[in-house]
Amino acid sequence: MRDILSLFFAYAKSGLKSRFQYKLDAIVATFAVFLREAGGIIAMYLALLKFDTINNWNIDELLFLFSLIFITYGIFIVFFMALRDFSDWIRHGDFDRVMLRPRGLLTQLVLCGADWLAALGHGTLGIVLFVISASRVGIQWNPAMAVYYIIAVISGVLIQGAIFLFFSSISFYVVETGSLKEIFYWNMRKFAIYPLSIYNRFIQSILIFVVPFAFVNYFPAQFFLRKADMAAYPEWLMYISPVVGVTLYLLAYSFWRFSLRFYKSTGNG
Amino acid sequence: MTRYLSFAGIKFRSKMAYRFDYVLGILNTLLSFVVYWSIYKALYNGASEVDGVTFSMVTTSFLISLGLSAAFHKNEMFLQDKIKQGTIANELLKPVNFKLRMLFEDMGEGAFHVVFNFLPTVIIACFFAPIQAPSGARDVLLCLVSVILGYVVLWEISFIVQSWSFTLFSVWGLITIKNVMVNILAGAYIPMWFMPDWLRSAIRFTPFDSIYFTPVQLYLGELGGKEIVFHFARQLFWITALWAVGEYFWRSGIKKLVIQGG
Repeated sequence: MRDILSLFFAYAKSGLKSRFQYKLDAIVATFAVFLREAGGIIAMYLALLKFDTINNWNIDELLFLFSLIFITYGIFIVFFMALRDFSDWIRHGDFDRVMLRPRGLLTQLVLCGADWLAALGHGTLGIVLFVISASRVGIQWNPAMAVYYIIAVISGVLIQGAIFLFFSSISFYVVETGSLKEIFYWNMRKFAIYPLSIYNRFIQSILIFVVPFAFVNYFPAQFFLRKADMAAYPEWLMYISPVVGVTLYLLAYSFWRFSLRFYKSTGNG
Repeated sequence: MTRYLSFAGIKFRSKMAYRFDYVLGILNTLLSFVVYWSIYKALYNGASEVDGVTFSMVTTSFLISLGLSAAFHKNEMFLQDKIKQGTIANELLKPVNFKLRMLFEDMGEGAFHVVFNFLPTVIIACFFAPIQAPSGARDVLLCLVSVILGYVVLWEISFIVQSWSFTLFSVWGLITIKNVMVNILAGAYIPMWFMPDWLRSAIRFTPFDSIYFTPVQLYLGELGGKEIVFHFARQLFWITALWAVGEYFWRSGIKKLVIQGG
């Protein structure tokens, strides 16, 4: 464990150093990521000045919902960046290098890939949204609530990690998975940011059963906020995000173990 | 002029090579549209109109502005890459105006995306969302002209930001910030009608609403005779003004440009 921690810090140090080599550029880029992600939120804020609520969610409650997507993505990008861009690792032969080192494959990938600029941009946005909204949405914060929030965040990270672990495993068979990610992650994430209940049944089912983004933000947020639109879903969905996260991750992990044996180097390492 | 048009033509044809990319492109645009369609459906919550704006006006406005903003997406690191790799030197040796060539190539690419990405998206969207039919053939024609002028305004803003590559290590951050501003202030993320009054009157003094909102208004037939002339004049004014600014940055950039090897 200590070994793994020291490895993580060594990678983090060198990663941060290389990204902050050009300090002004790194700061501008971090701010740009922050603003890019905040763009949709600013538009929503402006729209709610006119409309007040969307499906009875007011702006503070929406910000609370948004905070979960951005905090989880900020942490996700620290641990699962290498899996997000795994096709590149295979295409460039970098994965061969990983295989030659005396540590677990997934351990190395998880520890070494952090994109710190994006993590700072997304993470800061998530934290800002949380700080603005947490005291204004009527949650009675107590240790139990705080613990569930942390568990919800970890589950959200695991769910997104599992999704990319699936994609990465598929890279062993077809190398190029850009379009899959575009359709099943990035486009679904566009939907997932807003309350699930505004969509039609078909989109809702996809976000619950196929790419379970609903368990990253909507259902955990409902646990804290108890909005009326939750009546459309079974109540226990609010509690099972951790189960979904762990199960999905274990499934993805077995698929990864299974697919690993089909790995063929592309041979330009 | 024919020389520059053929640059546009070549780019248009070279884009034809990637078929799967455009199926995916249509899907991306369509899904962004569905997100905003759903948001505004929930916001309208069955109301037939809000502040005199009907729901079908909102969806039409989103379809045009989101669709065009996707279609007009291009590689904005172009100038920086040319400068970093030193290949800009070869470009400067050619007997064509580099800026005009870049504009026409990008217009060729934009035209490709309008035909193979924007139009299919519009046709598919008409099946499930309430999209307003144009108020007349004249309005469609005027809208098309203003789309082209709007594109040039958008392109010039991008060129001005890109020309900072002469001084900065990387313009990626600036370009991203510029794109957020354009998407919000030009009305791709929120229809111009629902902006707070103070913001909307501020935008009137900027080039942003001549990018997508003028075409939207023309398509919906919202503008009368005199206003049409005024809006076209505004688009032309911004094209001229921004061209001058871009030209200034470009010239002073070229002057201090040093290429090492290449």
